[in-house]
Amino acid sequence: MSLKIDNTIDGVKLALISNRLEGISRKMGNTLMRTGRSGVLNIARDFSCCILTGSNELVAVAESLPIHVLSGPDIMAQYMKKFHPILKKGDAFLHNSPYHGCSHPADHTILVPVIDDEGIHRYTVAAKAHQADIGNSIPTTYHGTARDVYEEGALIFPATKVQENYQTNMDIVRMCRMRIRVPEQWWGDFLAMIGAARIGEREILELGKEIGWEVLEQFNNDWFSYSEQRMVSAIKKLPSGVATRQSTHDAIPGTPKDGITITSTVTINPDDAIITVDLLNNPKEQPCGLNLSEACARTAAMVGVFNSIDHTVPKNAGSFRRLKILLGEGLVCGVPKHPTSCSAATTNVADRVSNPTQAAMPDISEGLGLAECGGIMTPGLGVISGVDPANDRPYVNQIMLAFTGGAGAPSADCWQTICHVGNGGLCYYDSIELDELRHPIYVHTRQFATDSEGAGKFCGARSAYSEYGPIRGNMEVAYVSDGAINAAKGVRGGLPGAPSQQHKITRNGKLTKLSNVGVVKLESGERIVSMTTGGGGYGNPMEREPEMVRRDVEEGYITKERASSIYGVVLDEYEQIELNLTLELRNKSNISGH
Amino acid sequence: MRFAVDTGGTFTDLIVEDDDGGLHMFKAATTPDDPIRGVLDSLENAAAGLDINLKQLLGRGELFIHGTTHAINAIVTGNTAKTAFLTSEGHKDILVFREGGRMEPFNFTVPFPQPYIPRALTYEIPGRILADGSEMAPINDAEVIRIIEDLKDKNIESIAICLLWSIVNPDHELRVGELISKHLPGIPYTLSHILNPSLREYRRASSAAIDASLKPLMSDYMQNLSGRLHESGFVGRVLIVTSQGGVMDAEDIANSPIHLINSGPSMAPVSGRYFARIDEQSDTAVIADTGGTTYDVSLVRKGGIPWTRETWIGEPYRGHMTGFPSVDVKSIGAGGGSIAWVDEGGMLHVGPHSAGAVPGPACYGLGGNNPTVTDAALALGYLDPNFFLGGAMELDINSAKTAIVNKISNIMDLSLEESALAIISIATENMVQAIVDITVNQGIDPRKAVLIGGGGAAGLNSIAIARRLGCSRAIIPEVGAALSAAGAMMSDLSSQYRRTHFMTSDEFDMDSVNELLNDMEMSCNNFIAGPGEGAIESSIEFFAEARYPEQVWEIEVPIKSHRFESRNDIKSLVEAFHAAHQDIFAINDPDSGIEVVGWTANVKCRLKTSESGVLVAGNSETLNLTNRKAYFSQLGFVDVSVRRFETMNIDEEIKGPAIIESAFTTVVIDPGAIVTRRESGSLSINPGAI
Repeated sequence: MSLKIDNTIDGVKLALISNRLEGISRKMGNTLMRTGRSGVLNIARDFSCCILTGSNELVAVAESLPIHVLSGPDIMAQYMKKFHPILKKGDAFLHNSPYHGCSHPADHTILVPVIDDEGIHRYTVAAKAHQADIGNSIPTTYHGTARDVYEEGALIFPATKVQENYQTNMDIVRMCRMRIRVPEQWWGDFLAMIGAARIGEREILELGKEIGWEVLEQFNNDWFSYSEQRMVSAIKKLPSGVATRQSTHDAIPGTPKDGITITSTVTINPDDAIITVDLLNNPKEQPCGLNLSEACARTAAMVGVFNSIDHTVPKNAGSFRRLKILLGEGLVCGVPKHPTSCSAATTNVADRVSNPTQAAMPDISEGLGLAECGGIMTPGLGVISGVDPANDRPYVNQIMLAFTGGAGAPSADCWQTICHVGNGGLCYYDSIELDELRHPIYVHTRQFATDSEGAGKFCGARSAYSEYGPIRGNMEVAYVSDGAINAAKGVRGGLPGAPSQQHKITRNGKLTKLSNVGVVKLESGERIVSMTTGGGGYGNPMEREPEMVRRDVEEGYITKERASSIYGVVLDEYEQIELNLTLELRNKSNISGH
Repeated sequence: MRFAVDTGGTFTDLIVEDDDGGLHMFKAATTPDDPIRGVLDSLENAAAGLDINLKQLLGRGELFIHGTTHAINAIVTGNTAKTAFLTSEGHKDILVFREGGRMEPFNFTVPFPQPYIPRALTYEIPGRILADGSEMAPINDAEVIRIIEDLKDKNIESIAICLLWSIVNPDHELRVGELISKHLPGIPYTLSHILNPSLREYRRASSAAIDASLKPLMSDYMQNLSGRLHESGFVGRVLIVTSQGGVMDAEDIANSPIHLINSGPSMAPVSGRYFARIDEQSDTAVIADTGGTTYDVSLVRKGGIPWTRETWIGEPYRGHMTGFPSVDVKSIGAGGGSIAWVDEGGMLHVGPHSAGAVPGPACYGLGGNNPTVTDAALALGYLDPNFFLGGAMELDINSAKTAIVNKISNIMDLSLEESALAIISIATENMVQAIVDITVNQGIDPRKAVLIGGGGAAGLNSIAIARRLGCSRAIIPEVGAALSAAGAMMSDLSSQYRRTHFMTSDEFDMDSVNELLNDMEMSCNNFIAGPGEGAIESSIEFFAEARYPEQVWEIEVPIKSHRFESRNDIKSLVEAFHAAHQDIFAINDPDSGIEVVGWTANVKCRLKTSESGVLVAGNSETLNLTNRKAYFSQLGFVDVSVRRFETMNIDEEIKGPAIIESAFTTVVIDPGAIVTRRESGSLSINPGAI
């Protein structure tokens, strides 16, 4: 087929209509974030909104969590149509089944089919939001050690009709209220999702009336062709090549003792303008909650690719035509079979798919891809719980106190606060005052650790050091820290990021090392210390601009010693660059093959 | 006589209100190296226009109201003071981490931003206050003095101080201030709890940092401005426009210059509110101010001007938050100078890059070869090449056409006119999306709003924008080309007081809340008796910043009762919240209680009896009716009549296609639209259907 858009007036129409649809999905997203109740939604921004065509192809997406949206909504919409062949105006469906296209059970999704006056299904809008609780057997939505979905305990909704004629089926709401902890919070988030989806529906119906459904159908086709063309141009600029990388998730209960190693093979074929990510050579499903859903396996690979190419290429079914993601059935990062648990599918192992995918690109050629991003869920992102003695009320909440992990890039230093590769840095940082107001917590320290960056020509993230504990009563801190053993790798001579660390400080100041997964009990006056995982560096640190190194020293991020030992940059007593000594040192290290 | 001057990026606009209440509009070029010169130039132009000398003109003035982009320009160009940041021990990176968040998640070409104040100039102050105001660790004078000595060595010019929980117990911040006054006299500093007493340390710290960095510069500017005005013969009061859409005395604002960040754009909705009401009896409006490089959208909602708590300098997440509420203005890079280009997939884009003032659009003939919105308007016959800015600048239509043909038509295989029309359409759509964004956030249905077009280029596509949004009316005020200056002329003296005090509707402590409201009311009354003395009337409004439990984004709800005497008062606050939530987000949760995080009191003092006069018509003998060929979609080139704005009679009706122009603006009346002249001087346009 011809990829050239021959009717060029479409260049104008395309811009107009794509802006409109993107505007609608953005409006949905704004509504969801501002009305959501749980911290994972309104602080971590763990939600997404998108629009699919009547034939279930992703056409527009608001700026959303990357791991949520690239693939998955399409499969969910397919199952909605399969299970409910007759769709009517006013219907809404609750969907969280990882066996039918959802990312993981914690991501409740509202799907609303947009039906025109003739009863034709034109589009589907989806609003997806990570819930604070989903009725699991233990109070966490990331049940990393669950043997299967039964031990996990999540309520699973495979595209279940929750609204008809715009009225909510309260039977289902009552069932949820009996199983989901903090039911008011869930109900608030449910309302927020319904609100977002209905706003999207209303706007699309108006758009259809205004410009005509036939024009929109034509637009869908042209928009996909345009996006595919953009993807073709982007891939044709890349060199051809194949590279394989591995990345290992730290061992936790339920995994093999060396953890879970993921292998990703990336092939760039500029002649055919295709990028292939092969995930077939990977371990079988594991008896734990770290297995990926099909949506997350596919999306994690796509995140690795889209992090590595021209970021202005639109992300939709059109550009996706140029990607081949090879997934195997029954693999830890493939298509899971029920009752395999996919409880933590959006984060841990998913990161171990995206990271080697984006890091394989630089092995093919300088200037491509990214280094690895750091792992997630140190105590800086811990779930804190206890009973506040001030009012005898229980509290439980995830705090977003400290995270870093950004990867060095081909032409720029990292984005420090990436959170984890699938989050893309959208997550907000908690205000210390807000945390101390909401919970009986005292945050003693939160700042960057010195000499902790992933050194490179362009650096990966530093470690963030945080130290906190209860100000009154006892507190439990739960965390599942990946990256204590397997730190984020650098590429093209870049050094790895710092591994995560966690310690406990007793009242008399004694420091004890903690394991990478745990629930730690702290008494008043005790504190937990968290060092986040850094990100890998891109390129040889000996090639870093000396001025950038000088600035890092001036700003107190690195010491003069590290400037000379790692970067070969010598500073005088006034912290100015000694050019000759620097050149000498860098030459020497070149010869010794640093 | 009163003067209102708005210094923008390109032009300095002046509105003079004469002693009979009539208005006169003047413009001068902005002079970035010495912006006060541009101000004086505009006054010289006024003196010439009114046929008196500058001294006489200024001698008759009682009030000089000024909006300026000087503060924001200083930040953008890095010309602020060398400023140090002092914060709580263990929390050195408050300005580095900010509040996290990122835009464009797949874009790895933009590194993590630098903090507003370098880390090298950041110092940790020992001591810690807790959330309940108790002292966990004491401050250490000796250590603070040691730090101050270091600041002295580093030739620091200004200091920002933000310690955790200073809003609950300010002792430590106050002590640092005392020590600075003693050991580093003459160096200005900003204490966060005084400047911006609000929860969330990053926002407060950022406020203090920005404020302190502007102090040396802006206090010079204010002194200089007052001095030079007085030298030229002005003896009246000098008031400055704030980001919150009010005015403050020049010497007061020198003490908290952060309030100048959005001075200027904040006044457009003040004008807009007036014209929406006087011309169309509407209390809801979208105000769009089109400049050369930016398109600023602001709103009027039920007679009020909505604010935002989140004001960014630069792009969201990549820039700095001011930490202050300001009039909610959404700015995008779209204006007459926005450049049109085609991407490799064959899609047309307009902006965000701008040709700026130099080289400017291709038709300026200053060497620009990229086609811009202005070039497109010229090619379509909307602009008269010999009457741009009243003939002050001649436009080169051939350069405009060449740029469009080379960069658009040839690539997209379109005719010149189709290309130019497409450029205007895309610019229109970008502007519409900016309006949609801000109206969603503020819960306004644009179909129920009047569109007010301000800025010299507003008339090019205001009708198209109104049609897309479904607005029933578009208004182009006669003073539209100086909308912000006109707004400044009608603004009130105002101030705002804030307190942080957490409260839930279920366990509502009426006494403590009433005490706080009393306290704030007293501050308001002091303001009325002080700067507000002699005002015609004054008013005080209270607001609660509230949310549902576990939400993190508050919305502002008016406290009608002013005090909480009974459960009923609490109930009406909660009900007002449910209604506001439904209004903004299309949902609410009537069974839930609410949480109040902050409390505000706004005080306003009205300075004038009538809000606005009408522009006094100049000499119109030479203003003949002419014709011009202009290009419209589906019609092609047609002969349209061109009318001078000021010669149109009140209630006269003109049907499109037509062009109405003045020395300051050109209004294109599309086929199907009907325009009427209102008594205020405005053009009121029924846009007709798409």
